[in-house]
Amino acid sequence: MHLTPDQLVDLADGVKPESSAPHLADCAVCRAQLNGLRATMSQVADVEVPEPSPLFWDHLSRRVSDAVAREDAGIARLKGSRSLIGTLFGGARAFQASVLLVAALIIVVFVTSRTKTPDSSKARAVAAARDVWSDGIVADADTDDSLTIVASLTAGIGLEAAGEAGLALDGSAEHAVTHMSDGELRELQRLLREEMARPGA
Amino acid sequence: MGAPDAAHATLDEQALVEACLANQPGAFDVIVERHRRSIYLLCYRFVGNHEDASDLSQDVFLRAYRGLRKFRGQASLGTWLYRIGVNVCLNRVSTRAPAVESIEERQFVDERAEAPSEAILRAERSARVRAAIAQLPRKQRATLILRTYHEMSHQEIADVLGSSVGAVKANFFHALGSLKRILGGEDA
Repeated sequence: MHLTPDQLVDLADGVKPESSAPHLADCAVCRAQLNGLRATMSQVADVEVPEPSPLFWDHLSRRVSDAVAREDAGIARLKGSRSLIGTLFGGARAFQASVLLVAALIIVVFVTSRTKTPDSSKARAVAAARDVWSDGIVADADTDDSLTIVASLTAGIGLEAAGEAGLALDGSAEHAVTHMSDGELRELQRLLREEMARPGA
Repeated sequence: MGAPDAAHATLDEQALVEACLANQPGAFDVIVERHRRSIYLLCYRFVGNHEDASDLSQDVFLRAYRGLRKFRGQASLGTWLYRIGVNVCLNRVSTRAPAVESIEERQFVDERAEAPSEAILRAERSARVRAAIAQLPRKQRATLILRTYHEMSHQEIADVLGSSVGAVKANFFHALGSLKRILGGEDA
Protein backbone atom coordinates (compact mmCIF):
# COMPACT_ATOMS: atom_id res chain seq x y z
CA MET A 1 0.00 0.00 0.00
CA HIS A 2 1.32 3.47 -0.96
CA LEU A 3 2.20 6.17 1.53
CA THR A 4 -0.56 8.61 2.47
CA PRO A 5 -0.24 12.39 1.90
CA ASP A 6 0.13 12.72 5.66
CA GLN A 7 3.12 10.33 5.72
CA LEU A 8 4.69 11.91 2.64
CA VAL A 9 4.48 15.39 4.18
CA ASP A 10 6.07 14.16 7.41
CA LEU A 11 8.94 12.63 5.41
CA ALA A 12 9.38 15.65 3.11
CA ASP A 13 9.27 18.02 6.07
CA GLY A 14 11.77 15.95 8.02
CA VAL A 15 9.29 15.36 10.84
CA LYS A 16 9.97 11.64 10.42
CA PRO A 17 13.10 9.91 9.05
CA GLU A 18 12.96 7.83 5.88
CA SER A 19 13.81 4.79 7.95
CA SER A 20 10.32 5.02 9.43
CA ALA A 21 8.89 4.19 5.98
CA PRO A 22 10.52 0.98 4.64
CA HIS A 23 7.95 1.01 1.84
CA LEU A 24 9.98 3.77 0.16
CA ALA A 25 12.83 1.39 -0.60
CA ASP A 26 10.57 -0.81 -2.76
CA CYS A 27 8.13 1.69 -4.27
CA ALA A 28 9.29 3.89 -7.13
CA VAL A 29 5.95 5.75 -7.19
CA CYS A 30 6.17 6.89 -3.57
CA ARG A 31 9.89 7.66 -3.96
CA ALA A 32 9.15 9.85 -7.00
CA GLN A 33 6.30 11.58 -5.18
CA LEU A 34 8.53 12.31 -2.17
CA ASN A 35 11.30 13.64 -4.41
CA GLY A 36 8.77 15.85 -6.22
CA LEU A 37 7.54 17.30 -2.94
CA ARG A 38 11.08 18.04 -1.81
CA ALA A 39 12.01 19.68 -5.11
CA THR A 40 8.97 21.97 -5.00
CA MET A 41 9.66 22.83 -1.35
CA SER A 42 13.19 23.78 -2.25
CA GLN A 43 12.01 25.89 -5.21
CA VAL A 44 9.53 27.71 -2.99
CA ALA A 45 11.99 28.21 -0.16
CA ASP A 46 14.42 30.00 -2.47
CA VAL A 47 12.02 32.90 -2.92
CA GLU A 48 13.12 35.89 -0.89
CA VAL A 49 11.19 38.94 0.11
CA PRO A 50 12.85 42.06 -1.29
CA GLU A 51 14.38 43.98 1.55
CA PRO A 52 12.61 47.30 2.05
CA SER A 53 14.56 50.50 2.55
CA PRO A 54 16.25 50.64 5.98
CA LEU A 55 14.17 53.74 6.70
CA PHE A 56 10.96 51.79 6.16
CA TRP A 57 10.84 50.17 9.60
CA ASP A 58 10.70 53.44 11.52
CA HIS A 59 8.20 54.73 8.99
CA LEU A 60 5.99 51.69 9.63
CA SER A 61 6.26 52.20 13.39
CA ARG A 62 5.24 55.84 13.00
CA ARG A 63 2.25 54.87 10.86
CA VAL A 64 1.10 52.36 13.48
CA SER A 65 1.66 54.87 16.26
CA ASP A 66 -0.37 57.53 14.45
CA ALA A 67 -3.17 55.07 13.76
CA VAL A 68 -3.22 54.03 17.42
CA ALA A 69 -3.28 57.69 18.51
CA ARG A 70 -6.25 58.36 16.20
CA GLU A 71 -7.98 55.30 17.63
CA ASP A 72 -7.39 56.51 21.21
CA ALA A 73 -8.63 60.00 20.34
CA GLY A 74 -11.80 58.50 18.83
CA ILE A 75 -12.43 56.40 21.93
CA ALA A 76 -11.85 59.45 24.16
CA ARG A 77 -14.39 61.46 22.13
CA LEU A 78 -16.90 58.62 22.39
CA LYS A 79 -16.41 58.40 26.15
CA GLY A 80 -16.83 62.17 26.40
CA SER A 81 -20.14 62.02 24.54
CA ARG A 82 -21.37 59.21 26.74
CA SER A 83 -20.47 61.03 29.91
CA LEU A 84 -22.23 64.17 28.64
CA ILE A 85 -25.37 62.19 27.94
CA GLY A 86 -24.97 60.52 31.32
CA THR A 87 -24.72 63.90 33.01
CA LEU A 88 -27.76 65.19 31.18
CA PHE A 89 -29.79 62.19 32.18
CA GLY A 90 -28.39 62.02 35.73
CA GLY A 91 -26.09 59.04 35.82
CA ALA A 92 -25.74 55.70 34.13
CA ARG A 93 -28.77 54.06 35.70
CA ALA A 94 -31.00 56.99 34.89
CA PHE A 95 -29.56 57.00 31.36
CA GLN A 96 -30.43 53.33 30.89
CA ALA A 97 -33.90 53.97 32.25
CA SER A 98 -34.42 56.89 29.88
CA VAL A 99 -33.28 54.77 26.93
CA LEU A 100 -35.78 52.10 27.94
CA LEU A 101 -38.50 54.74 28.27
CA VAL A 102 -37.83 56.12 24.79
CA ALA A 103 -37.84 52.60 23.35
CA ALA A 104 -41.16 51.86 25.08
CA LEU A 105 -42.69 55.06 23.68
CA ILE A 106 -41.56 54.16 20.18
CA ILE A 107 -43.14 50.72 20.52
CA VAL A 108 -46.43 52.16 21.81
CA VAL A 109 -46.62 54.69 18.96
CA PHE A 110 -45.79 51.98 16.45
CA VAL A 111 -48.40 49.55 17.77
CA THR A 112 -51.06 52.31 17.96
CA SER A 113 -50.46 53.34 14.37
CA ARG A 114 -50.65 49.72 13.26
CA THR A 115 -54.05 49.19 14.93
CA LYS A 116 -55.55 51.97 12.79
CA THR A 117 -55.98 49.79 9.76
CA PRO A 118 -55.94 51.31 6.31
CA ASP A 119 -59.38 49.77 5.75
CA SER A 120 -61.04 51.85 8.48
CA SER A 121 -59.50 55.11 7.27
CA LYS A 122 -60.52 54.22 3.73
CA ALA A 123 -64.05 53.49 4.89
CA ARG A 124 -64.18 56.87 6.63
CA ALA A 125 -62.95 58.60 3.47
CA VAL A 126 -65.58 56.81 1.36
CA ALA A 127 -68.31 57.70 3.86
CA ALA A 128 -67.21 61.33 3.86
CA ALA A 129 -67.27 61.40 0.07
CA ARG A 130 -70.73 59.81 0.10
CA ASP A 131 -71.93 62.54 2.49
CA VAL A 132 -70.64 65.21 0.17
CA TRP A 133 -72.34 63.52 -2.79
CA SER A 134 -75.67 63.00 -1.01
CA ASP A 135 -75.78 66.68 -0.06
CA GLY A 136 -75.95 67.41 -3.76
CA ILE A 137 -72.83 69.55 -3.64
CA VAL A 138 -71.25 67.83 -6.64
CA ALA A 139 -74.48 67.03 -8.43
CA ASP A 140 -73.48 69.31 -11.29
CA ALA A 141 -70.75 66.90 -12.17
CA ASP A 142 -73.35 64.83 -14.03
CA THR A 143 -73.83 67.64 -16.48
CA ASP A 144 -70.13 68.26 -17.10
CA ASP A 145 -69.03 66.18 -20.16
CA SER A 146 -65.34 66.18 -19.32
CA LEU A 147 -66.00 64.93 -15.80
CA THR A 148 -68.33 62.28 -17.19
CA ILE A 149 -65.54 60.93 -19.42
CA VAL A 150 -63.10 60.90 -16.50
CA ALA A 151 -65.70 59.23 -14.31
CA SER A 152 -66.38 56.50 -16.89
CA LEU A 153 -62.67 55.84 -17.34
CA THR A 154 -61.96 55.63 -13.63
CA ALA A 155 -65.17 53.92 -12.55
CA GLY A 156 -63.43 50.71 -11.52
CA ILE A 157 -60.48 52.34 -9.79
CA GLY A 158 -60.56 52.85 -6.02
CA LEU A 159 -58.25 55.15 -4.10
CA GLU A 160 -56.11 52.24 -3.04
CA ALA A 161 -55.73 50.97 -6.60
CA ALA A 162 -54.87 54.48 -7.74
CA GLY A 163 -52.22 54.66 -5.04
CA GLU A 164 -50.79 51.31 -6.06
CA ALA A 165 -50.75 52.41 -9.69
CA GLY A 166 -48.62 55.37 -8.68
CA LEU A 167 -51.41 57.88 -9.29
CA ALA A 168 -51.48 58.95 -5.68
CA LEU A 169 -47.86 59.73 -4.94
CA ASP A 170 -46.53 60.79 -1.55
CA GLY A 171 -47.28 64.46 -1.21
CA SER A 172 -50.25 64.35 -3.60
CA ALA A 173 -53.76 65.40 -2.57
CA GLU A 174 -55.03 61.81 -2.95
CA HIS A 175 -52.31 60.51 -0.73
CA ALA A 176 -53.03 63.21 1.83
CA VAL A 177 -56.75 62.36 1.90
CA THR A 178 -56.22 58.64 2.34
CA HIS A 179 -53.84 59.27 5.23
CA MET A 180 -55.96 61.78 7.21
CA SER A 181 -57.08 61.50 10.80
CA ASP A 182 -60.78 61.73 11.74
CA GLY A 183 -60.48 65.39 12.73
CA GLU A 184 -58.68 66.25 9.51
CA LEU A 185 -61.32 64.50 7.43
CA ARG A 186 -64.13 66.39 9.20
CA GLU A 187 -62.30 69.67 8.62
CA LEU A 188 -61.80 68.85 4.93
CA GLN A 189 -65.47 67.99 4.60
CA ARG A 190 -66.45 71.31 6.19
CA LEU A 191 -64.12 73.29 3.93
CA LEU A 192 -65.43 71.52 0.81
CA ARG A 193 -69.04 72.30 1.80
CA GLU A 194 -68.18 75.97 2.37
CA GLU A 195 -66.31 76.21 -0.90
CA MET A 196 -69.03 74.52 -2.96
CA ALA A 197 -71.77 76.57 -1.30
CA ARG A 198 -70.22 79.85 -2.48
CA PRO A 199 -72.13 81.51 -5.33
CA GLY A 200 -70.58 80.66 -8.71
CA ALA A 201 -68.71 77.64 -7.44
CA MET B 1 6.86 57.91 17.38
CA GLY B 2 10.49 58.00 18.34
CA ALA B 3 12.60 55.14 19.56
CA PRO B 4 10.70 53.05 22.12
CA ASP B 5 11.65 54.10 25.62
CA ALA B 6 14.27 52.20 27.55
CA ALA B 7 11.95 51.46 30.46
CA HIS B 8 9.77 49.21 28.32
CA ALA B 9 12.46 47.86 26.03
CA THR B 10 13.62 45.29 28.58
CA LEU B 11 10.18 44.03 29.57
CA ASP B 12 9.02 40.53 28.66
CA GLU B 13 5.89 40.00 26.56
CA GLN B 14 3.39 39.63 29.38
CA ALA B 15 4.73 42.69 31.19
CA LEU B 16 4.57 44.67 27.96
CA VAL B 17 0.97 43.69 27.39
CA GLU B 18 0.11 44.70 30.95
CA ALA B 19 1.90 48.02 30.45
CA CYS B 20 -0.18 48.62 27.30
CA LEU B 21 -3.38 47.79 29.13
CA ALA B 22 -2.35 50.25 31.84
CA ASN B 23 -2.12 52.90 29.11
CA GLN B 24 1.60 53.41 29.59
CA PRO B 25 2.86 55.47 26.65
CA GLY B 26 5.51 53.75 24.58
CA ALA B 27 4.69 50.19 25.62
CA PHE B 28 2.88 49.31 22.42
CA ASP B 29 5.67 50.89 20.39
CA VAL B 30 8.03 48.27 21.79
CA ILE B 31 5.69 45.47 20.70
CA VAL B 32 5.55 46.97 17.21
CA GLU B 33 9.30 47.29 17.02
CA ARG B 34 9.86 43.69 18.07
CA HIS B 35 7.39 42.18 15.63
CA ARG B 36 7.16 44.62 12.71
CA ARG B 37 9.65 42.77 10.54
CA SER B 38 8.08 39.33 10.88
CA ILE B 39 4.58 40.74 10.37
CA TYR B 40 5.65 42.71 7.31
CA LEU B 41 7.31 39.62 5.81
CA LEU B 42 4.20 37.56 6.49
CA CYS B 43 2.02 40.16 4.77
CA TYR B 44 4.42 40.45 1.84
CA ARG B 45 4.33 36.68 1.34
CA PHE B 46 0.57 36.88 1.02
CA VAL B 47 0.17 39.90 -1.22
CA GLY B 48 3.50 40.03 -3.05
CA ASN B 49 3.94 43.80 -3.09
CA HIS B 50 5.35 46.41 -0.73
CA GLU B 51 2.44 48.87 -0.66
CA ASP B 52 -0.20 46.34 0.33
CA ALA B 53 2.20 44.65 2.74
CA SER B 54 2.76 48.00 4.52
CA ASP B 55 -0.97 48.72 4.75
CA LEU B 56 -1.72 45.23 6.00
CA SER B 57 1.06 45.39 8.58
CA GLN B 58 -0.40 48.58 9.98
CA ASP B 59 -3.83 46.98 10.03
CA VAL B 60 -2.49 43.94 11.89
CA PHE B 61 -0.96 46.07 14.65
CA LEU B 62 -4.03 48.25 14.94
CA ARG B 63 -6.22 45.20 15.35
CA ALA B 64 -3.79 43.80 17.88
CA TYR B 65 -3.97 47.06 19.83
CA ARG B 66 -7.75 46.94 19.84
CA GLY B 67 -7.81 43.31 20.92
CA LEU B 68 -4.98 43.37 23.44
CA ARG B 69 -7.38 42.73 26.31
CA LYS B 70 -8.26 39.41 24.69
CA PHE B 71 -4.65 38.26 24.70
CA ARG B 72 -4.47 35.65 27.44
CA GLY B 73 -0.85 34.64 27.07
CA GLN B 74 -1.68 31.02 26.21
CA ALA B 75 0.26 31.37 22.97
CA SER B 76 3.24 33.65 22.51
CA LEU B 77 2.59 37.23 21.49
CA GLY B 78 4.28 36.44 18.17
CA THR B 79 1.91 33.54 17.46
CA TRP B 80 -1.06 35.69 18.44
CA LEU B 81 0.09 38.44 16.08
CA TYR B 82 0.61 35.85 13.33
CA ARG B 83 -2.94 34.68 13.83
CA ILE B 84 -4.23 38.22 13.41
CA GLY B 85 -1.90 38.69 10.44
CA VAL B 86 -3.09 35.56 8.67
CA ASN B 87 -6.73 36.54 9.18
CA VAL B 88 -6.12 40.06 7.91
CA CYS B 89 -4.23 38.74 4.88
CA LEU B 90 -6.76 36.03 4.10
CA ASN B 91 -9.55 38.59 4.22
CA ARG B 92 -7.62 40.85 1.88
CA VAL B 93 -6.74 38.17 -0.65
CA SER B 94 -10.31 36.92 -0.69
CA THR B 95 -11.60 40.35 -1.67
CA ARG B 96 -8.80 41.37 -4.01
CA ALA B 97 -6.56 39.53 -6.41
CA PRO B 98 -3.01 40.07 -5.20
CA ALA B 99 -0.98 42.51 -7.31
CA VAL B 100 2.35 40.75 -7.36
CA GLU B 101 5.19 43.26 -7.59
CA SER B 102 7.24 43.27 -10.76
CA ILE B 103 11.01 43.14 -10.62
CA GLU B 104 11.23 46.83 -11.51
CA GLU B 105 9.04 47.79 -8.55
CA ARG B 106 11.19 46.06 -5.99
CA GLN B 107 12.19 48.39 -3.21
CA PHE B 108 15.74 47.47 -2.56
CA VAL B 109 17.74 44.66 -4.11
CA ASP B 110 20.97 43.74 -2.45
CA GLU B 111 23.15 42.78 -5.41
CA ARG B 112 26.50 43.14 -3.69
CA ALA B 113 27.07 39.42 -3.36
CA GLU B 114 26.27 38.37 -6.93
CA ALA B 115 26.50 39.45 -10.55
CA PRO B 116 23.61 41.62 -11.78
CA SER B 117 22.54 39.02 -14.35
CA GLU B 118 22.34 36.34 -11.66
CA ALA B 119 20.34 38.67 -9.45
CA ILE B 120 17.87 39.35 -12.27
CA LEU B 121 17.44 35.65 -13.03
CA ARG B 122 16.86 34.91 -9.37
CA ALA B 123 14.36 37.75 -9.15
CA GLU B 124 12.49 36.39 -12.17
CA ARG B 125 12.34 32.92 -10.67
CA SER B 126 11.08 34.40 -7.42
CA ALA B 127 8.41 36.41 -9.22
CA ARG B 128 7.18 33.27 -10.99
CA VAL B 129 6.95 31.30 -7.76
CA ARG B 130 5.21 34.18 -5.97
CA ALA B 131 2.68 34.42 -8.81
CA ALA B 132 2.11 30.67 -8.57
CA ILE B 133 1.61 30.87 -4.80
CA ALA B 134 -0.90 33.67 -5.35
CA GLN B 135 -3.04 31.24 -7.35
CA LEU B 136 -3.39 28.78 -4.46
CA PRO B 137 -6.62 28.55 -2.45
CA ARG B 138 -6.47 30.63 0.75
CA LYS B 139 -5.89 27.89 3.32
CA GLN B 140 -3.29 26.16 1.14
CA ARG B 141 -1.48 29.43 0.64
CA ALA B 142 -1.51 30.26 4.34
CA THR B 143 -0.23 26.80 5.23
CA LEU B 144 2.55 26.92 2.67
CA ILE B 145 3.68 30.40 3.73
CA LEU B 146 3.68 29.65 7.45
CA ARG B 147 5.46 26.33 7.01
CA THR B 148 8.03 27.31 4.41
CA TYR B 149 8.92 30.90 5.30
CA HIS B 150 8.09 31.15 8.97
CA GLU B 151 9.16 27.64 9.90
CA MET B 152 6.13 27.00 12.02
CA SER B 153 5.37 23.43 13.05
CA HIS B 154 2.22 21.70 11.81
CA GLN B 155 0.70 22.12 15.26
CA GLU B 156 1.49 25.86 15.37
CA ILE B 157 -0.03 26.33 11.92
CA ALA B 158 -3.12 24.43 13.04
CA ASP B 159 -3.37 26.79 16.04
CA VAL B 160 -3.03 29.87 13.87
CA LEU B 161 -5.52 28.69 11.26
CA GLY B 162 -7.90 27.13 13.73
CA SER B 163 -7.75 23.74 12.05
CA SER B 164 -6.37 20.26 12.77
CA VAL B 165 -2.85 19.00 12.18
CA GLY B 166 -4.26 16.53 9.64
CA ALA B 167 -5.88 19.38 7.70
CA VAL B 168 -2.61 21.33 7.77
CA LYS B 169 -0.69 18.39 6.32
CA ALA B 170 -3.33 17.81 3.66
CA ASN B 171 -3.28 21.50 2.69
CA PHE B 172 0.49 21.50 2.53
CA PHE B 173 0.52 18.37 0.36
CA HIS B 174 -2.05 19.79 -2.06
CA ALA B 175 -0.34 23.20 -2.13
CA LEU B 176 2.96 21.61 -3.19
CA GLY B 177 1.19 19.47 -5.78
CA SER B 178 -0.58 22.50 -7.25
CA LEU B 179 2.62 24.54 -7.34
CA LYS B 180 4.46 21.73 -9.09
CA ARG B 181 1.72 21.62 -11.72
CA ILE B 182 1.63 25.42 -12.20
CA LEU B 183 5.41 25.86 -12.36
CA GLY B 184 5.88 22.72 -14.45
CA GLY B 185 3.22 23.94 -16.87
CA GLU B 186 5.05 27.24 -17.27
CA ASP B 187 8.34 25.52 -17.95
CA ALA B 188 6.78 23.31 -20.63
